[in-house]
Amino acid sequence: MGQQILNAIFIGSIYALFAVGYTLVFGVLDILNLAHSAVFMLGAAVTYTLVVNHGQSFWLACVLAIVAAAFMGLVIEYICLRPLRRRRAPPIAALISTIGLALIIVAAIEQGRPGTLFAWLWVDGANPVTMPPGTFPNPTWHVAGLTLEGSKLAVVPVSIALMLVLGYVMRFTQVGRGLRAVAENPRAARLMGIDVDRLISLTLVISSALGGLAGILFGVALGGISPYIGRDSVEVRGLAVIVLGGMGSIPGAVLGGYLLGFIEVLAVVLLGSNVRAGVAFAALFLMLVLRPQGLFGAQLRERI
Amino acid sequence: MDFLIQLFTDPVAFWNSHTLLISQIGINSILASSMFVVLYSGQLSLAAPGFMAIGAYTAVLMDLYWHTPLALNIATGTAFAGVVGVAVGLPVLRLRGVFLAIATIGFIEALSLGVILNLPITGEGLGLKNPNADPLGGINIVLVSLAVVVFLLWRLTKGRLGYAWTAIRQDELAAQSQGIDVARYKLIAFVVSALLAGFAGGAESHLNFFVDPNEYGVPRTVQVLTFAVLGGSGNVLGPVVGALFLTTLPYVFQQAGDYIGVVSGAILIAVIIFRPQGIVGRGGFAFVRPRWWPRAQVRAPSTR
Amino acid sequence: MRRHFGGVHAVDGVTLEVEKGSIQGLIGPNGAGKTTLVNVITGYVPFQSGHAWLESDELTGLPAHRIAGLGISRTFQNIRLFKDLTALENVLIGMHTRRRDDTLAQIATLPMFRRDQRSRLDDARGLMETVGLAASDIAGRAAGTLPYGDQRRLEIARALALRPRLLILDEPAAGMNPSEKQGIRELIERLNEDGLTILLIDHDMRLVMGVCKRVAVLDFGRKIAEGTPAEVSIDAGVIKAYLGSGSERVVTSAPGASAAGDTELAGEGSAARPAVEPQKAILEIEDLTVSYGPVNAVRGASLRVATGEVVALIGANGAGKSTILNTLSGLIRPDSGTAVFDRLDLTRAKPSTIVRHGLIQVPEGREILARQTVLENLELATWGRRDGSAKRTQIEAVMKRFPILGERRALRAGTLSGGEQQMLAIARGLLARPRLLLLDEPSLGLAPQMVDEVFKAIQEIHDEGTTILLVEQNALRALEIADRAYVLETGQIRLSGTGEDLLHNPAVRRAYLGG
Repeated sequence: MGQQILNAIFIGSIYALFAVGYTLVFGVLDILNLAHSAVFMLGAAVTYTLVVNHGQSFWLACVLAIVAAAFMGLVIEYICLRPLRRRRAPPIAALISTIGLALIIVAAIEQGRPGTLFAWLWVDGANPVTMPPGTFPNPTWHVAGLTLEGSKLAVVPVSIALMLVLGYVMRFTQVGRGLRAVAENPRAARLMGIDVDRLISLTLVISSALGGLAGILFGVALGGISPYIGRDSVEVRGLAVIVLGGMGSIPGAVLGGYLLGFIEVLAVVLLGSNVRAGVAFAALFLMLVLRPQGLFGAQLRERI
Repeated sequence: MDFLIQLFTDPVAFWNSHTLLISQIGINSILASSMFVVLYSGQLSLAAPGFMAIGAYTAVLMDLYWHTPLALNIATGTAFAGVVGVAVGLPVLRLRGVFLAIATIGFIEALSLGVILNLPITGEGLGLKNPNADPLGGINIVLVSLAVVVFLLWRLTKGRLGYAWTAIRQDELAAQSQGIDVARYKLIAFVVSALLAGFAGGAESHLNFFVDPNEYGVPRTVQVLTFAVLGGSGNVLGPVVGALFLTTLPYVFQQAGDYIGVVSGAILIAVIIFRPQGIVGRGGFAFVRPRWWPRAQVRAPSTR
Repeated sequence: MRRHFGGVHAVDGVTLEVEKGSIQGLIGPNGAGKTTLVNVITGYVPFQSGHAWLESDELTGLPAHRIAGLGISRTFQNIRLFKDLTALENVLIGMHTRRRDDTLAQIATLPMFRRDQRSRLDDARGLMETVGLAASDIAGRAAGTLPYGDQRRLEIARALALRPRLLILDEPAAGMNPSEKQGIRELIERLNEDGLTILLIDHDMRLVMGVCKRVAVLDFGRKIAEGTPAEVSIDAGVIKAYLGSGSERVVTSAPGASAAGDTELAGEGSAARPAVEPQKAILEIEDLTVSYGPVNAVRGASLRVATGEVVALIGANGAGKSTILNTLSGLIRPDSGTAVFDRLDLTRAKPSTIVRHGLIQVPEGREILARQTVLENLELATWGRRDGSAKRTQIEAVMKRFPILGERRALRAGTLSGGEQQMLAIARGLLARPRLLLLDEPSLGLAPQMVDEVFKAIQEIHDEGTTILLVEQNALRALEIADRAYVLETGQIRLSGTGEDLLHNPAVRRAYLGG
């Protein structure tokens, strides 16, 4: 049971970190960025490739992978979102253009094998791979019958620290106020001299960097890196998280992430491992039907 | 290119060697039509694979346990999907836009991960063997029913129902001011869509010796949405063209080979940015229509 | 035909009866609650209390589509056609309630259905002709591509397709030029002669006074007068509501006592002295033309503002005032013409550059950030300024100047009253260090004593040396404090002169009340 709670906290941290980026974009733009899970996967994949195929040090690889993820944020903005915004297209259009980008990213990794165009990016095709042991320090302790792996333990403080930093930036800095202004009323923000397009680019960069980092942590701690980890592990769960917490709310996404982690673990304990994912989505469905603003939406939505 | 050359030079051989492909195009077209109905009435529902699963499992289980005739099996599966459509649609259709999309994703994931993977009768995730499938003979059923579906939808869109759907899609408030019961017509569209998806699921199960529970998840719904959006959702032919185009793309561009995912993602983004009404616009193939071709007019007898 | 209201939010205890077969007018200044009233009647906004009946049918609590089914059909203030559908399809959709469910006939493609469809098409074309649209030309065109006036008419045709017992027209002539307005007026009279009961809502008194037998006047959600057009137009309360609560001096000297509808006053309009345009201007607008799709909102407007001036830009709703301001702020791009602010080309520059250059807009409706605190709103207003400590002291200074903002600094701006929000919006404008402050309708929807406060603040800001371009509906108050003013009508500058001149010019009243 203790082990299960540890797992819940660990997986909840990753869900929360991933969902914070998701919800940030939704809060500012009212758009679901479905390429977010592809960026998550890219973070893990780039780290692996840099370490294993290009012989870089683990820490440098992490930094470069986050930079790559942040760059994907700019790609999302300039290719998928800005042209549609110029045309005042409905939000559904952006949903589809980001699906298109996600397809491209996943297909590129999927096809990465020796001798192909994307061999520099990935060589294992659709196969799941795991970081070779010893790439990063992973001390393991056994305390009171619990197994504590360093790589998993590290996820929790890293996530929490980043989310606190983001919360601080959103709440107390001029940039954060600007982002909230854009979220609430882009027209008023423009009239106050805020360069709305630039802040939206910044939003995508922050969101994607966080998504990429969540991917790195996931890949390091759980292994099994494949082109599909974004799609299968976090894409729809991320939706569940931001719906549970209230769409667009950052504190809501954090709480939603841990809540989902606990719901899943509880479902495994009580009902067996098969129902794990199903329970999460049933919760998502019920939440939307009964309380679409999310558990904390009413109070927290306005803080983004 | 061989693909196209064979199609034009030796259609009979083409038919014989691509029976499965053609059947799959038919199934995909019906699915895309199911998506078309909800999009045509202005709702982004992604529930199609869920109703497919209901149709498929119902049909196969009836065949396995009761040895009932195929037509009855598919009809029952379709009807069951429709009933579930009413039950799901009633609570869910209060939601709009991405919230509706997320709720329907919750529904399909809860259904496939929560229910299908856990019931002994559905094989608990191992899938179902379907010994009485007829992969080659099924093509007739599929193509005939596709023709019927397209005809029915074409007629429906021309009638009072179609006008009401169009009005709701364009402007719900204005539609109400014309006396259109928005909630009712939305539900009708949702249920019609569920029936079509249920039918497609039942028919598809007849083509495969195996019902794979993993077929009915989010990737499938993304695929179906792509068909409908790419083809265009203002005209009944749009989804069929979209399904035809995307299903044959890997065969037509064989030299693109492994990069087909990248190519189709790029096409999707290009279409949503440059031709948001889809390949087939509302008035037909405006894209390929020469300038001297008469414009699509609302046909009407001249006023004296 | 009766309908009663009581205690509706934004509409307060209004009772209104529309006599069968008549044209009832409903007028009132912006924000008076006219459209809210219509939305309540037609089921878009729930009743808080009160009742409404259409003949013997109770409407209270019914959803919008049921009310439409009972025979109340409406148009919308900001045109809600099905834009991508053809004009003919728009009218056909209007026939929904009187069309039998023909799903089965459709599927079977029965001849019976064909006959129905043919008669419906004839009917729809007939309706288009009734409202003055050439069905043969435009039936097949997408509604959104039609000229603005045709869109208004098409919306009326769609409303008529319902065969209503009561037709509610919400500002059918907004944004139209005088000849188009005349056309709408004739159309309304013609429809009424055919026996249709009409409730006409408009700003333009000229239109309402011309066609209505009875007129009700709303202000702040209350009915302040009702009677024949002649009675209403000399009602002191009505004149005050319309021309604004000027100082006592102005109200008595305003030509309120002479009867409205007296068209001879028009001749005196030209008596205004030509504007004394400054030679050295900080803002120069030359021949500006702006359109939204097919709508020409501003047509060839030219105006100048010199440093230190207060210039008022007045005109009725839909005259193009806000469009000009939004063009200056870079939110809309003009079709042609120039707008230069201190050597910066406003037709090209990004909104953020324009703000940094010192041209600040306090927008209509205030647009404060309701979810952020008062202090956060003020801090955001210094966006782009790099002078950290000066920013702080100025924020403190602004909070001293508007003490109410200082007191409420930690509250969410959305919880402030309308007047307080306006103060916040103006304070925000000041913090951006304007060299030219654009104020768009600062008194909109405020109670009279708040209007006084706001104008006092504007006067003070001007006295401190800020140049101001003021857009107002409250013409008298605006002219009182303005050095010069321009009168805008249907996108064109009709008159200009000193504030004093225009204040005593009957043509100004004409532009507003349509006398």
